[in-house]
Amino acid sequence: MENLTWTGSLGPLLNPLFLLAWAAFAVAVLAQILLSFVSGNPQMQGNALAMRKSPADWAGLAARAMFGLIVLVTLGYLVGGLLLPGPEAKGIIGTISTRLLPVWISLAVLFALSITFKRRLGLYGKLFDSTIGMVGFGIVMFWVFTAFYADMIATHDPLTQLSGMKNKVPGTAISGADDGVFGYYLLGGDNLARDVFSRMILGAWEVIKIAPFATVFAFMVGITLGVPAGYYAGTLDTILSFLANLILAFPVILLFYLLVTPEIVDTGLPTYMAMVLFIFPLIFGTVLLNSRYHTQPKFRNGIVAAFLAVGGLLYLSLISSNDPNAMIRILPGWLDLFDVPGNILVVFVSVVFVNSPTVFRIVRGIVLDIRTRDYVAAAQTRGEGAWYVMLWEILPNARGPLIVDFCLRIGYTTILLGTLGFFGLGLSPESPDWGTTINDGRRLLSIYPHPALAPALSLMSLVLGLNLLADGLREESLRD
Amino acid sequence: MRDESYTGPILEIENLSISFFTRLREIPAVMDFSCTVQPGEAMGLVGESGCGKSTVALGVMQDLGVNGRIVGGSIRFKGRDLNSMSAAELRDIRGSEIAMIYQEPMASLNPAMRIGKQLMEVPMIHEGVSEKEAYARALEVVTDVRLPDPERMLNSFPHQLSGGQQQRIVIAMALMSKPSLLILDEPTTALDVTVEAAVVQLVKDLGEKYGTSMLFISHNLGLVLETCDRICVMYSGEAVETGSIEDVFDRMRHPYTQALFRSIPLPGADKNARPLVAIPGNFPLPHERPPGCNFGPRCDYFEAERCDAGDILMAPVSGDDRHGTRCLKFDEIDWDAPIAASIATEKTEPGQVVLKTEKLKKYYEVAASALFGGGAHKVVKANETLSFEARESETLAIVGESGCGKSTFAKVLMGLETATSGRILLDNKEIQDTPIEERDTKTVSNIQMVFQNPFDTLNPSMTVGRQIMRALEIFGVGRTEDARREHMLELLDLVKLPREFATRMPRQLSGGQKQRVGIARAFAGGARIVIADEPVSALDVSVQAAVTDLLMEIQRNEKTTLLFISHDLSIVRYLADRVMVMYLGHVVEIGTTDQVFAPPYHPYTEALLSAVPIADTKVKKKHVVLEGDIPSAMNPPPGCPFQTRCNWKSKVPGNRCETEVPKMVTTAEGHQIKCHLSREELDSMEPVIQIAAE
Repeated sequence: MENLTWTGSLGPLLNPLFLLAWAAFAVAVLAQILLSFVSGNPQMQGNALAMRKSPADWAGLAARAMFGLIVLVTLGYLVGGLLLPGPEAKGIIGTISTRLLPVWISLAVLFALSITFKRRLGLYGKLFDSTIGMVGFGIVMFWVFTAFYADMIATHDPLTQLSGMKNKVPGTAISGADDGVFGYYLLGGDNLARDVFSRMILGAWEVIKIAPFATVFAFMVGITLGVPAGYYAGTLDTILSFLANLILAFPVILLFYLLVTPEIVDTGLPTYMAMVLFIFPLIFGTVLLNSRYHTQPKFRNGIVAAFLAVGGLLYLSLISSNDPNAMIRILPGWLDLFDVPGNILVVFVSVVFVNSPTVFRIVRGIVLDIRTRDYVAAAQTRGEGAWYVMLWEILPNARGPLIVDFCLRIGYTTILLGTLGFFGLGLSPESPDWGTTINDGRRLLSIYPHPALAPALSLMSLVLGLNLLADGLREESLRD
Repeated sequence: MRDESYTGPILEIENLSISFFTRLREIPAVMDFSCTVQPGEAMGLVGESGCGKSTVALGVMQDLGVNGRIVGGSIRFKGRDLNSMSAAELRDIRGSEIAMIYQEPMASLNPAMRIGKQLMEVPMIHEGVSEKEAYARALEVVTDVRLPDPERMLNSFPHQLSGGQQQRIVIAMALMSKPSLLILDEPTTALDVTVEAAVVQLVKDLGEKYGTSMLFISHNLGLVLETCDRICVMYSGEAVETGSIEDVFDRMRHPYTQALFRSIPLPGADKNARPLVAIPGNFPLPHERPPGCNFGPRCDYFEAERCDAGDILMAPVSGDDRHGTRCLKFDEIDWDAPIAASIATEKTEPGQVVLKTEKLKKYYEVAASALFGGGAHKVVKANETLSFEARESETLAIVGESGCGKSTFAKVLMGLETATSGRILLDNKEIQDTPIEERDTKTVSNIQMVFQNPFDTLNPSMTVGRQIMRALEIFGVGRTEDARREHMLELLDLVKLPREFATRMPRQLSGGQKQRVGIARAFAGGARIVIADEPVSALDVSVQAAVTDLLMEIQRNEKTTLLFISHDLSIVRYLADRVMVMYLGHVVEIGTTDQVFAPPYHPYTEALLSAVPIADTKVKKKHVVLEGDIPSAMNPPPGCPFQTRCNWKSKVPGNRCETEVPKMVTTAEGHQIKCHLSREELDSMEPVIQIAAE
């Protein structure tokens, strides 16, 4: 079998066009910048029809057209790859596009449904009015679906090493591949002869699985402490803000190193921290329900008990472990729903620990503003409890900035996970997550860049997508 | 640049149409608007919020933002078409020949720049004068706007000045380059009444002194009457009537203008004998305007097939000077017909005393150093010896400007704060020391409040029905969810809102509707005392009457005691049985409405009465303009709280005003005044408001 080219049989046709489009785009952009210095201000007053186009405008138009062409050709590569038969004709891009077919279908369905019903979907629907928001959402959902279908997409096991594939360039055919084994390393092999493409895809799952959850916990902690700090102000606020500042001022990397040092892990410190940090969602939920339904004691007892039963079980499953050496073994084995590996727990704890002070400060600031509103006074004057006012009158109205920050913070968390992986902290050294993979590929970066490049670009695109999504949400939530 | 020889009209707007473009549709904001402002003339632009009056002003400034565009017509300033000017030419005109004054003074001044520098910029940019000359000019103008100690003013930052002083600086800045046209967009709405009166007087005097033409935008007909020569009434993007003040006020020829005048409380209106007539229906949304006459659906004289047939043009009213109306039937309507719709009701007799306060005091301690809590403590005396009683189904108005302590009193009454000393008796039970958490449900539901700002009074992320039901839950009304829902729907009926509103979100409601929901919520637990904190001041004129009437009607049926907090004396006279005037935490005058509105007055009441603009050409007012601003409650003057601004101070022998807090003097049964003036001086006072004989 021959090695694959990047673009397969589409190459001779599309490659020159692609290059040409890029060249023309660059020239047009440059021309637009230069010409805008030369030509005077266009007359914008009065009737719009009378507007004359200056040379700079024409250059801008050309740049836009070329950009459209570039997008079109890129789409051509992806769609062409889907349609052509056989890996040789598809090329690397085409084959990857084919592997990602479930993702494309899911994205198409999601977008079609969302755009059709966008007027009925509130803020989420409004997102589809902003191009930036749509692009960001598309990128994020691309990685979410990729993570979801990872096992279908990946071509090889992320840990299998195939002889002769060490540091091979993208598209290398596997010599003497068995039947049923995919015949190529699409994005090449790393220095342990593992498939870079499969590791990248499965790494997405590692990232998507941890980052949002860790962020949710950070928000829970930040909100549960930030709302009362802003509402009561005074001494409570001073103490909590001081603590938050203390944590923020502490060097983060040093904190991580400390948390994962075996001696510290042996003292059980991370586990106890996990105990404390993970109980916040439980407290939050209980207070939320109690404040809302305390006027109907019967109903309240039922719903709070149900919540505590489910939440408590999850909480105990999370912190207790079946491992005989574990610090906390509260639940009997048959009740323990799942075990979180110790190193992931440490990652969770450190992410929550460094993110929650920032969330705390944001929430506190918003609450300080909202508590002066009349509807808060109205709730107070009808004798509502403080927690009802905080959680049902104030918090829902702080959601706008919080949703935006949530998106941005998932991005930070993703980078933080990468950083942790890069330092070899937290996740196991064999884990395909992007940070660890970048660290592995770093050593031979000058000779074989591809093992590090693939996860690095993935990380970049996911964080970019999240930031664009946050931008889109912010823009749309401000509009009416 | 400046053409001094030009003698024609300063501003000519012809058939102007302005639209805003959103991603869904084009929204016409102003349609077919024409007006002319002659040199030295003041033109008033009146209308409710959303009628397009500010858009006209922005159109004149050619500052419509990215979404707005002029889609038709022309704006000529001194004969030159503003629509076809380049950005550079416009920059030259803005700020030098056309100046604009905005509503919020703090937002128009750069907080990081000294006042002097901001003022000097104007002539330095537009005329290129030297720094020295610019400083001299700034000093002159600041003196002109009657600010004390001009040199210190020029050297201070905006936040160091009070709201009234800031607005004077903004006016000074507008006058720096001696503009030919001054656009004032609700210049006094953010100010207190007595300060407003002084600023309005100033604008009037300066207009005469500099010969500036003015475009005065306001929602307040009374203000326009006091400041302008001509008026243009706008409704839903169109000018509906224009003419001289006398013509429009006394011989109005458009049904909207007429309805507007019938819905504002003028002297003579009375809640029982001559109630206000609210305009039915709601202001149409810009994209839901009816065909033909925009006012058609709310008009008493509406004639189907005619009024909704096609576009209606401005028609001149013969015999009057440039008086026009946008009504097809103005010749047929009998404009002098008496108001038919008003229904007189029986006056309700107040019952027994429900609420009684005795020498109530509320002091706040403010630490001088916030960080360590040490050092000297300052005491803010928010309420000083408040004593009064309120009876069942009585309306007691509490009148005063910002900082007078009325909100603090409301807080103490509600239990959000506890009193420093004195007593509050609710049904002979002391409640002054019980914070709201310790009050029983009945006490809490007995005293409820209606808030001022309709856009703030409802939680934006909860449905209307849910919010009312929450109040029912808290007050323990109804045993089951269904019973409460039923009760909630009845409450919506009570405030005359359709039952479908239960599932709406607050943002889908107009200001008046939100305020109705707020009223429904306050009455959820069968409140016996309702504190209404300026419940209608943020609403449009035509909606105010409807909400006021609703409050009155519920009060009549439920025998509620209404504590009506307001600074608007027109509405107080209309609906209050008794009035209590407050200044800096003191009650300075208390009595029945008739007693307070007739001499003898407390000097502050006199100034307040004179300051409130009244939209009636027949009313003759005595001009009492107070100098200066309200002192800070942190640092009140010694002796009488009002002595720093009092015009009568010289009539009191010695320096008693400065040293001694006056005692309450009873002048008549139930009428008390806190003043050092002798009985003879008080009796010699002349009435402020006189209605000229017809």
